Formats: sequence, C-alpha cells, structure tokens
Amino acid sequence: MVSPIYIIAGGLGAAFLLGLLPAKWRTFAYGITLATLAFMSWVAGSWLYAFAVNGALPVEIFTAGTQPPFAINLRVGLAEAALALLMTLTGLHAALYMKDTLFKQGRQAMAILLIFIMALCGVVFTRDLFNLFVFMELVMISTGGLVLLSSDQRALGAGIKYLIVSQLISMLMLIGIVFAYHATGTLNIDGMAAAHINLFKGGSLAFFLIFMAVVAELKPFPANGWGLDIYESAHPAFSALFSVATGGATLYAVDKLLLIGGAQWLPMASAIGIVTFIAANLFALVQTNDRRLLGYSSVAQIGLIFTVMGQQDILGERYYFIAGGILLAHAVAKAGLFWLSGLVKQRQLTDWAALRSQPLLVFAFVTFIALLVGLPPFPGFYAKWDLAHLLAADGRLWLLGLILFGALLEAAYLFRWFGYIIKREGSEAGLALQPMKVDATLGAVVVAWLLAYLWGQLSGHGNLLHAIPLLFALLFLPLEWLPAKVKNIMAIAGLVGWFYLSYPSYDAFQLIFAAVMLPGGALILLASFQTQQRRVGFYPAAMLMFAGLSMLIVAKGSFDFFAAWETLTVGSYFLILRGKHSEPHALSYLVFSLGGAFLILAGFALAAQGVMDFQIAALAQVAKPFAPWVFALLAIGFMTKTASVGVHIWLPGAHAEAETDVSPMVSGILLKAGLFGLFVLLMTMGKQQLYGVELTHVMLWIGAISALVGNLLAIFQEDAKRLLAYSSVGQMGYALFGLALMNHLGWLMALMFVINHYIYKSMLFLSVGGVAKRTGTREMYRMGGLITLMPLSFIATLIGIIAVSGVPPLSGFGGRWIFYNAIMTADYRLPMVIIFLAGPIAFLYLFRLIHTVFLGQLKDEFRKIKEAPFWIILPQMIFVAALMVFALVPGVALRKVDVYLSQFFAGNGHLNWEGLTISSDFGYWNPVAIMVIIGVIFSTLFAWLLFVNRKAQPVKQFNIVFAAERPFRPETTHYAWNFFAPYRKALGFLTQPLVTRFWEAVTELLHSAAEVLRRIYTGNGQTYAIHLLAFVVVVYLLWMGGSDGI
Amino acid sequence: MDWIAMGTGFTLILMGLYGALTNRNILRIIVSFTVADTGVNLVLVAVGYMHGRTAPILDEAVSAAQAVTRIIDPVPQALVLTAIVIGLGVTALMLTYAYKLYEVKGILDISKCKDLKW
Repeated sequence: MVSPIYIIAGGLGAAFLLGLLPAKWRTFAYGITLATLAFMSWVAGSWLYAFAVNGALPVEIFTAGTQPPFAINLRVGLAEAALALLMTLTGLHAALYMKDTLFKQGRQAMAILLIFIMALCGVVFTRDLFNLFVFMELVMISTGGLVLLSSDQRALGAGIKYLIVSQLISMLMLIGIVFAYHATGTLNIDGMAAAHINLFKGGSLAFFLIFMAVVAELKPFPANGWGLDIYESAHPAFSALFSVATGGATLYAVDKLLLIGGAQWLPMASAIGIVTFIAANLFALVQTNDRRLLGYSSVAQIGLIFTVMGQQDILGERYYFIAGGILLAHAVAKAGLFWLSGLVKQRQLTDWAALRSQPLLVFAFVTFIALLVGLPPFPGFYAKWDLAHLLAADGRLWLLGLILFGALLEAAYLFRWFGYIIKREGSEAGLALQPMKVDATLGAVVVAWLLAYLWGQLSGHGNLLHAIPLLFALLFLPLEWLPAKVKNIMAIAGLVGWFYLSYPSYDAFQLIFAAVMLPGGALILLASFQTQQRRVGFYPAAMLMFAGLSMLIVAKGSFDFFAAWETLTVGSYFLILRGKHSEPHALSYLVFSLGGAFLILAGFALAAQGVMDFQIAALAQVAKPFAPWVFALLAIGFMTKTASVGVHIWLPGAHAEAETDVSPMVSGILLKAGLFGLFVLLMTMGKQQLYGVELTHVMLWIGAISALVGNLLAIFQEDAKRLLAYSSVGQMGYALFGLALMNHLGWLMALMFVINHYIYKSMLFLSVGGVAKRTGTREMYRMGGLITLMPLSFIATLIGIIAVSGVPPLSGFGGRWIFYNAIMTADYRLPMVIIFLAGPIAFLYLFRLIHTVFLGQLKDEFRKIKEAPFWIILPQMIFVAALMVFALVPGVALRKVDVYLSQFFAGNGHLNWEGLTISSDFGYWNPVAIMVIIGVIFSTLFAWLLFVNRKAQPVKQFNIVFAAERPFRPETTHYAWNFFAPYRKALGFLTQPLVTRFWEAVTELLHSAAEVLRRIYTGNGQTYAIHLLAFVVVVYLLWMGGSDGI
Repeated sequence: MDWIAMGTGFTLILMGLYGALTNRNILRIIVSFTVADTGVNLVLVAVGYMHGRTAPILDEAVSAAQAVTRIIDPVPQALVLTAIVIGLGVTALMLTYAYKLYEVKGILDISKCKDLKW
C-alpha cells in the first residue's frame, strides 16, 4: 500500500510539474490534474478500506526521520482517511465539472486546484500546530486564486474581503501559536494536549487566540459575511469545494485543537455552533438567490456539526457516528446542490422550476434536501436520533430544542424551494445541461444512497433500507417509465399482498388500522385508474406514504415508530404537493408535520433516558418527573397529524387542493396515523398530571373545541372540498374526545371512527371530486340540480352524509350510540355540552352539501355533463356496500377489538354482543332491527309521497320568464351562496381565523427578523473585519464572565 | 531588550490594524497589513529571545554539547522565517486582487465593493 504522505507529495509534485509545462499543453496538463486527483483519491480510499475493513492501526508519518516534537509528524487514521477521500473525490469532480473553465485559465488554475486539495489534506493529517498554520495559509491563498475562476465579476470583491479577513485570522493564529509554544515548549498537538495548556499563565489566552482563528474559518455568526459572498459569487464547483472540503477539514482541525484545550472549551464550541446554526437558517428564510441560500445553509450545517463537537463529552463512542453522519450528509448534499446550481441558468430560486423538465434531476434535488434535513433513510436521520437521545439523557433539553427549531427552519426553506421547482413556471430553456456536470451531480446521488445504506448498517437500529415496504416504494422510482395503469396494478397488488402476508401477525387493534390503511388504500387506488399516461412522481410518493403507514402499525421500538412516522410524512407531502394550487398548503402541511415529528422525537428521547432501542411498551414505565412532559410532547406531536384545533390550519388547504384520488387518501387514511399514535400513547401512558392538571382532560377540551370549530368552519365554506376538509377537523375532534374520555366505550367509539371516517370521508371526497371534475369548479353555488345527471354520485353523497350525521340507520348512528353511552360514564359536563352542540352543526354543512350540489336548479352550462368517470364511481359504490354491511353487522369489526380493549379497563363498561343485539349498561342497539324499521318508515312515506303527487304536472326548468338585469356579482343573488348567512351573523365570531393569524404572525415575525438582522452583512470588507474582531472580543468577554479563573 | 521588541511589535500590530480598518483605499489597506505583519513577526522573535544567549548556529564558537545552555531556541525564528514567506505570498495575492479590481472596475475603494451583501 502506498504511504498516505503521497497524497500530499503527489498533489504538490504535480502542481510543480504543471508549472514547468508549456502553456499550450492544456489537454496534457488537464490529464495530469485528473490523474493526480484520482491517484490521491485512490490512496485515501485504499487507506480508508484498510482502516474500516481490515482494522489497520493509524499510521504515523515522521518527516525528516525524527520523532516529534523535533520534527513535524502527520497521522492518518480512519477519520483522516475518510475526510481525505471526501476532499480528493470532491476535488476530482470539481476538476471534471470545471473542465471548460480550467481549459480557459490554463495550467496555473489547475495547479492551484491541486495545491488547494493537497493543503486541505495537510490540514487534516498534520499533528503540528505550526504546520497546521502553514497548510491553512496555503488553503487561504489557493482559495483566493480559485475564487477568481468565476465568470461573475463580483467574485473579485468577495475575494478581497476574504483576504482581509484571513489576514486577521493569520495574525491571531501566529500570536496564539508562539505564546502557546512559549507556555508548553512544544508545537506538537498531542504534546501540547499532554502539557495541559490551561494551567500555564497566559496559556488559556494563547489557546483562545488559536482556537478563534480556526473557528473563524468555520464562518461563525456573525463573522461570516465574507464566506457568504464567496458562496454567492464563486464558480459553483468551487463553492461546493469551499463548503465541503474546507468545511470538513477545518472542522477536523478544530476537533484536534479541542484535544489541546480540553473539555472546558466544549461548551463554547456548542454555544458558537448553535447560534450560527439558528442565525444562518433564519437568514436563509428570506433569501431569493440560490447560491447565497446554499451558502447560508452551509454555514448552518457546519455550525450544527460544531455544536455536536461541543457535546462530545456526552456522546461517547457515538460521537464520530453522529458528527460524521451530519458532515457527510452535508458534504454530499451541498456538493450536489452547488453542482445542480451550475445547470440552472438564472439565479433566483424560482428559476429552478426549469429542473422540472428533467425528472432525474428533480430526484437528485429531493435526495439532497432529504439528506440535509435528515429524513429517513439518510445518515442525518440516524445521527439526529442518536443525538437527541444522548442530549435528552443528559438533560441538555434547551440545546435539543434549539437544534430542532433550527432544523425546522431549514426544512421550511428547503421544501419551499422544492415547491417552487414543482409548481412554478419554468421551461427547459432555463437549463444549461452538460453531460459532465450532470454526471457529477448524479454521482453525488449515488453516493448519498450508499451512505444511507452504510449508516443504516452502522446505526445499530436495523437498516431502514432493509425494510420491505420502503424498498417496495423505492422500486417505483426506476419504473417511472411504465404507464400509470400498470403501476396502479402493481401498487394495489403490493398493498393487498402486504396485508395478506402480515395479516396473521396483527392483533385486533392493529388489524383495524391495517385494514383501513392497506386494503383501504388499495380501494382508493382504484380511482387512480382513470388517470392517463405515466403520472410521474405519484406512485413513489403514494407508496412511500403507505410504506410508512404499514411500518407504523407494527413498530415495536420507538426508533421504528419514528422512522415510519417521518416516512409517511414525507410521502404524503409529495402526494399533497401534486395538487394544482397546493404549493403553499403542502408546505404548511410539511412544516406542521415535521414540527410535530420533532416533538415526537423529543418526547421519545426524553422517555428513553439514553436507552437507544427504547420499546414503545416501555412508555408505561417512564418515571415521574419526565412522564407528563413525555406525554405532552408526544400528544402534541400526534395532534398535528389529526389536525386538532391550534395546529389544524394546514388541513383545509392540503386536503382540498389535493388531486381527486389523493384527497381521500390523505383524509380517509393519513389522519388515522395521528389517531394511531394517540391510541398507543394513551394505552401505554394513561392519565398524566402536569402541575396538577389532568392532561387527558386538556385533550378532552381540545377534542370538543376541534369538533365545534371544525364543524362551524365547515358550514361557511363555499368550496365543497374545503367543506369536507373542515369537517375532518371536526370529526377528528370527536375521535380525540372519545379517546380522552379514558373509558372503554370512548375508545371503542374512537376505533369505530377510524373505520367510519375512512369510509364516508373517502366516499364523499371521491364523489365531490368526480363532480368537480365534470363541472370544472368546486364552488357549490355554481352547481345544483345534478341529481339527474350524476345519480350515482348523488347516492354516494346521500349515503355518506347519512353516515356522517349519525342518524339511523347507518353506521354513523352506531358510532353515536357508543359515543353517548361513553359520555354517560364520564363526568365532564362542559366539554360534553360543546360536543353535543357540534352535532347539529354537522348536520347543517351536510345538508348544504347535498342540497346545493345535487338538488335545486340545474345550471345552463351543465346541461350536458355526464356521470363521473367509472373508476371514480366504482370505489364509491364499494364504499356504499361496505357502509351498509358495517351498519348491519358492526360486530364483524368491533367485537374482537371490544375484547382487546377490555384489558385496559379491567373489563369495565364493555359491551355485550348477543346475536345481532349489542347492549351496554344504558340500553341496547340492534342494527338490523333499526335498519328494518327505518326502511319501512322510509318506503311508506315515499309511497305516500308518490301517491299524493300523482297528479302533479312536471314543469321544465325554463318554463318561466327570467327578467331584470344581470347583477354585478351574480353569485350574491344565488340562494346557495353564503348559504348559512344568518348563522354566520350569530356564530361568526367563533370562526375568526385566530389560529391562522397567530401562525401567520409567527412566520411574519421570523421573516422580518431575518430581513432586519441580515443587514449586518453590509457588503463592506472592513465591516466584516470588524465583525470578526468584535466576535473574538465578545466571545472572550462572555467566556471570561462565564468561567472564572481562565 | 525583549520587552521593547515585544512592545514595538504590539504597537505595530495595532497601528496596522487601525490603518487597515480606517483606510478605504485597498492599497493603503495592504500596506497597513504589512505593517501589522511586521509587528507580528517582531512579537514572535521577542517571545523566543532568551537573555545572554547566542544565535542558534553550531560552529567552532558553540559546540553541539554546549548548545542546550548557550543558544536560544531556534524554533520561533524558524517560524518567523516561514511567516515572512507566507506574508509575502499573501501580500502579493492581495496586490494582484487590487490590480484586477482596478482593471475590471476601475476602483480601489473597498467601500465600493458592496454589490454582494445580505
């Protein structure tokens, strides 16, 4: 094996050789550059293999043949080799990517690139402080040269600002080094670490100066304006290097320095890191320039790793797994994104919509942002999980909270950007595709997935890329070229097949959810048969959601649960984003859901107290001081999914704007994931008191208010799908209420809701979707009289609303019956009144739905429309049948669950199932008898009606004379517009969008804070220099104030 | 002796910094930085100085056996030499930038390079 010193010697030698070549031999010079970088990568890679696989020991390289401290020594171990491979490979790709530029600039530019990469490897390898300084200066000088490769003239200004700041950095470092040497008598890093520099007079100050100098290269807030200018103006391939290679090497240098300083400097690292992480992500919120945004994101990610570095005292052996996971995720993603930015001609974020013409590049973009955000199955996800657990175990909750907050900000702007790509105007003309550049980018995608696999193997939690549902979802990516109908068959077969295979392992409770999610999903997918062509992007997203759902219900450990939760969140986000106008709604869904997911993560981490493979069942044993907090965090997390009042504002837009077959999926199925989580939570943790407040009682109130507000808002909607969406808020409120009653019947009723709500909401969304498809509008007042033209849709809607409103004879009544029995046994009066009040309100919006859409006068323009497409009608008819069956024999589904639930309440309050009659302590319910009685009454009345109307004369709709003028806004004269105006007058005050206003104010506040604060980056190089000096002074003062005696 | 060198060194650093932060002309900034660099080098030498000892050159005057007690520590001086070389490189690079900037934009005023900000 070749000694690692050849990484440095090779780079240096080739750079000198390039200087000797005639200027005209460009191709030859370029060939040497590539060959050298490939050689360096090969050496680094072979050593990485030796360390990682063969377990080789770290190699010490003694220059001048003398032991340290009398000569400089270098060390290469696992971490060094991995970083060197990362940097040399990025360098190689940069050389490929910049081929045109390098040819234009000639051999000097190539030599500088080689020096740059060589020097970075030196920064990583060296164990000598002054040698570190020399390599850092080399990096700085070559950076100055490489910045000039940009075709953007503004890079000149950026470069000079960088040089000014670097002058200050080198001064700090030199003075620090000489005093540190004076104090300890050595320049060797390990020797200095052994000498305990903090004990010497002035030693701490000397170390502080060195530390600040290296930290300043990490671009800490606010001394980082120069870095951002470089990111924005340099050649994208260099920006990638600057972010990945310089960032990685400097982080490693800081890690080495912390050996000298010792544990007492760790809190400072975390403090600087977290401030940088949050500030940079905040400022990125208001960026419109893509490369500057990537710059902010780079600064933030490096700040995050620096934060992690400061926590190494508690991370133990997981330190390199966590820091390395975040670093590699950042490196691959940032390199990929910068390379992508070179393919987009214009520099606004919205110009990236041009990428849409290339699905492969869109996939690359998704991979990169998923890497950055730390979504499963990428390394950042595993790292995030371990980090959260270790922080929570040590009680560092503030830091955990800040990290999660920053991560949420980052997710928000990255996914907003993704929304632009998918939804904004863009054409292929906005792209400048070159095969070499595309290849580099796609190479990064491959590396990303390999890393995902590797980190899964290393995680100790079980590799997510071994999970069959997830693999099945990913399988649809390479199959995107197939026609949608073929993929639909595969998807349905997959869902049904997986249900069949897993069926024996489900218990009664899981079975209810599994039935709704898997065969239930397959049923809704029938409606997808009516779509044409390939429908790119739909199936991977949908199957990702179903994969998450199917993994969720069988999850035993908290890790599996959380991984499934994030998977289904991301899948459903992509699904929702497909709607024509759903860009803002999908984003708000994602932000709320990820926020909820982070709360869940925090809750699990707090509960686990350091146990990495925490079992869900162990939630029951969580001890006192944590238990109520764990409960609250998890409950709020799950309630973001069930859209309880307060965190419900994403739901109406997301569900209403989604595609016709997506709305029933995200409403009928996805909401149940939240209920599942709440069920699991209550089953394990039960009642918890926080400051004397019974938390399930709070949930009861939230449920009641959600039911009331959701229903109230639903009656005032003009848009049929929004009406149904708000109705879901109300319905989930009922379910939450039932759960929070904490008695047998309450839970049974909530489970009944799982089935009922799935059936009738899916059915209603499909029929309304079918009507909207035919009429081209979702505004109810524009419809009317469709009963004769779309009779099947009418029947589905009629059955649906009978079921929703809970009147006999359909299954909704069964739900109500159990519900009222459940309430009788609970003793909360006021929320009960509210929930009773919500009932009739539900009736109002349901009446409006059927009345204004199907009854009344037919509009002229709709005279010739047809029934909804077959494939949309078919699942509705199946749902109708299912509702009938479920109404007649609810015992099929509920009986086993009833038994299952008995274990939680010692058999109290369960139902008696005798034949077809179900009885409780308060009465009995015989579904068949009710059905028969209602049937008889209905047919009698119907016959009588026909009899008395037998002589009535049918009148055509236009059998009267219309007169008068056309009003300015015709809808204002339509009875169906503002249908419930009197109620609005009376109850409108309850529907003020207070919650929406609150969240809008929060968003607005964050954005204006960013807008104001980022003005510290005035663009003036001298100001940046002052920032740096002020940063050093302020950190010193805070540090002195915070710790005595240093 | 050494404290004079040390004091002068720090004075030069402060003067250089003041000049670099208050002058807008890029050439003046570069000159200020060279002043500060000189100060840094002076401080380095002053830290390494030891009273009553001779230059770290082994010849007839000082034999290898006596070296430990008679010569000053050569490391800081080696550092200074390296630092001077690096300083030269950086100064040259900054001058190149100044030249390019003047060539492309016709300015030498740092406060006018503000097209990148926020």
